[in-house]
Parts: sequence; structure tokens; C-alpha cells
Amino acid sequence: MRSDPIDRTARGAALAAALLVALAVCPVSGQAQAGQGQRIQTMVIDPGHGGMETGAKGKFGNLEKDITLAISLKLKALVERNMGFEVVLTRDKDVDVSVENRSAIANNRKAGLFISVHSNGAVQKKAAGSETFFLSLNATDEETRRLAYLENNSSALQSRIDPSSDDDLMMILWDMAQTAYIKQSGQLAEMVQGELDALLGTRNRGIKQAPFKILTGVACPAILVEAAFISNPEEEQKLASEEFQSKVAEAIYRGLARYLRMPE
Amino acid sequence: MANNKKAKKPKPVLILGALSIVLLVLVIIFFTGGGREKVARFIDANLPKTPAAAGEPAATKTVTLFFLDDDDDFLHGETRPIAAGPTANEEAERALAELIKGSEGSLVSPLPPQTKVRQVFIGKDGVATVDFSRDVAEKFAYGSTMELAAVYAVVNTLAFNFKAVKKVVILVEGAEKETLGGHVDLTRAFLPDYSLVAR
Repeated sequence: MRSDPIDRTARGAALAAALLVALAVCPVSGQAQAGQGQRIQTMVIDPGHGGMETGAKGKFGNLEKDITLAISLKLKALVERNMGFEVVLTRDKDVDVSVENRSAIANNRKAGLFISVHSNGAVQKKAAGSETFFLSLNATDEETRRLAYLENNSSALQSRIDPSSDDDLMMILWDMAQTAYIKQSGQLAEMVQGELDALLGTRNRGIKQAPFKILTGVACPAILVEAAFISNPEEEQKLASEEFQSKVAEAIYRGLARYLRMPE
Repeated sequence: MANNKKAKKPKPVLILGALSIVLLVLVIIFFTGGGREKVARFIDANLPKTPAAAGEPAATKTVTLFFLDDDDDFLHGETRPIAAGPTANEEAERALAELIKGSEGSLVSPLPPQTKVRQVFIGKDGVATVDFSRDVAEKFAYGSTMELAAVYAVVNTLAFNFKAVKKVVILVEGAEKETLGGHVDLTRAFLPDYSLVAR
């Protein structure tokens, strides 16, 4: 059992590396920033689903994956035209991208913001409106303790332990990366949802927390926007229209701008 | 050779002593050493189940199943009897099969009707592991709201009706799956969320 102590050390180092890299990747997390946007250089837009994975389907045959790509491309153009940072898409055509790869793209590019674009689906045909999600931890006792430990000991660990670039460690790191950014993600969700509500004229379903896989591994403020319900025939037709897609992109962009101007 | 001679003439007390120590060690290993499932199964199979109708034969247990209503976003409870016993695992399997079968009133099941419950196993640690057939992921094109409803209908139904269940893990076709349809993270155990239930 020669590997045992090494394993244990590795696990300890993983936790520490998780912290360290998570803190390093997202410079906006600093308490004393003048504005949230100060040091963001790259943002990642994630058009939900793609390829074999269609996402939700509408009665008229529209697919979530196509709507999300259309909105994301419009949002990318808006941000690039008006904001000073690079925009990376997790996909720019109709291809499969695994959840891991989506968050890996954000983390590898040192993204300071992550926005996943979706269109909603419900069993109830009447369900309608827009909503914005950020991650809920669905925290078990163990996770709560781990999170409390992370919050209390981050600076001490950061100064003591050298991060390793081991792939396994990086996986462990990313599995819990979002936990450090929950608060900012909540603020971002609030700003974006406010603009969606103002611009779309659809029902405002508010901001919610959910254990969405796509958000768990992202090491920066991250939200998932549900523009409207593709399962609702009326909203499906809106979602399929270029005009509505542009409005959604504009609303997200405005929410983003408001978030970036926020102090702290 | 000297060893052989010694071994051929041991005192009976020593043999008994040695045997009892071996037995003790085996018992300890059985109950503590990694055999959680075995122990849980053993306990499950041997504990008397609380009969729903005061110990009468062919007892039933009343369960509350969580469905959707067309008019709001909440889960709504609907009660119905299922056959009781012999184990909580089997009762849980029956409850989920009823959930999939759907409402007897006007409510809607959030799970694909083709879905089969392959197995439910309630561990001693309070984690119920549910294994669905692949239909649960393949027969619906889930949106976020739909997927949340499907997951929490299952989680809440189990946690609400079976006291031993504290958390729920969902497997598909015997294996861990990231999500049912690209949204809700299935790789972690779920705690019940009754805020999704209508008051």
C-alpha cells in the first residue's frame, strides 16, 4: 500500500489547489474592487445543449439547442461591440459539447463571467415566462462544512500550498469551483432577470437556485438564463423570431452592464 | 517436525479460545468492514415492517405521491394505498411505479410513462438509491423546469413517505448519469425540497 499516503497527500493538495486556483482564476472576487467588471478580460457564453442533445422541444418543432445558439451569437456580438472584453462561446455551431468541456473552456480561458443561455420546457403547456438561475449547493452536511472551511481558511492555505497541475486534481477542483462565487452569481442573476422582466414583456418568474450541472464547475460568477418556454406554443413562436431573440440578448447585455457597474 | 508435533497436541481450551476469537473477528468484519450494503440488506430483511392497517394480512400503506398541476409550477401531493412490505425497498419501488403511472385525478406525472423502476435500495446511511430504466432520460426532451420537477417528484416522494430516507441518488440503467436532459446534476445526492410543494 505504498500509494496510500501519496493519495492522502494528493487529496489534501487537491483541496488546497482547488481554493488557490479558484481564487486566482477569478480576480473579481476581491472584496475591495471598485466595480465587478474591473479586471474581467474574458467572458464565456454557453449556448445550452447542441448536437444529439436537443434540449426541450416545441410543438412546432423548434429545438432548444437552436434557439440558445441564436441568442448566444447575438449576445456575443453585443458584448464585443460595447464592452472591452473577449467573448468565448462554448460552441458556435450545432455540435455536442460535454458539460465538463463547457466549464473547462471557461476555466481554461480564465473567464470572469459565465452565462449559459437556455429556453425552458415544462410539462404544463401554460407555463410561461423568463427566469434566471444560479447554483444551489443542495448542500449536505459534509459540503457545508467544506464550504465553511474554504471560506475561513482560504488565505492561509493560499500562502502555504503550491498548486499542482495534475489533471485529477483539476477535476476535483472544478467539481466544487462555483461554491466560492455563489453570492456574486446571485447578484448577476438579479441584474439580468430585472432587465429580462423589463424588456421581454413575458411573465417574470424571478431568480431561482437549482443544482444545475453546468454551473457547478465554473470558477467565476455564473448564471443560467431561461429566456422563455419553448414548451408553450405562444412563447415558442416568440423564441423562434429574430426580434425576440435580439431582445433577450439585449436584456442579458443590459443586466450584465448593470452588474459590472456594481460596487464591491 | 517439532512444529508438527506441537500442533498435534494442542489443549482443547486453546482450540476453543482460538475459534471464538476467529468468530469474533468475523462478526466484527461483517458489521463494520465495508459491507454496508450487506448489513443494510440483512437488517431490512429481518426488521418487522410497520403494518399500515394494524397488522392485518394483505396490509396496505398509504403513500403521498407528488405530481404537477396544469395551473401552477408546484408539486401537489396525491395519496393512494400501495401494498405494504415485506421491505421498505419494495414499498419504495411500488410508490415510484405509482408516481410514474400518474395521477388518479387531474394532476400530471412529471416522469415519462414508459419509465421502469429497476430497483430502489435504501442504505443504512439514509441514502436511497433509485435505478430507473433509460426511458426516464430518453422519452422526454426535458427543459429545466420539467427536469427539476421530475427529479424532485422522485426525491420528495421517497423522503416524504419513508422515514429512513434522508437523501436520494438517481441512477439510470444501473449507472451514474450526469443529468436526465442536460440540466439537473445527478452526480450528487439530493435532499428533499418541500418548497417546491404547493401549500
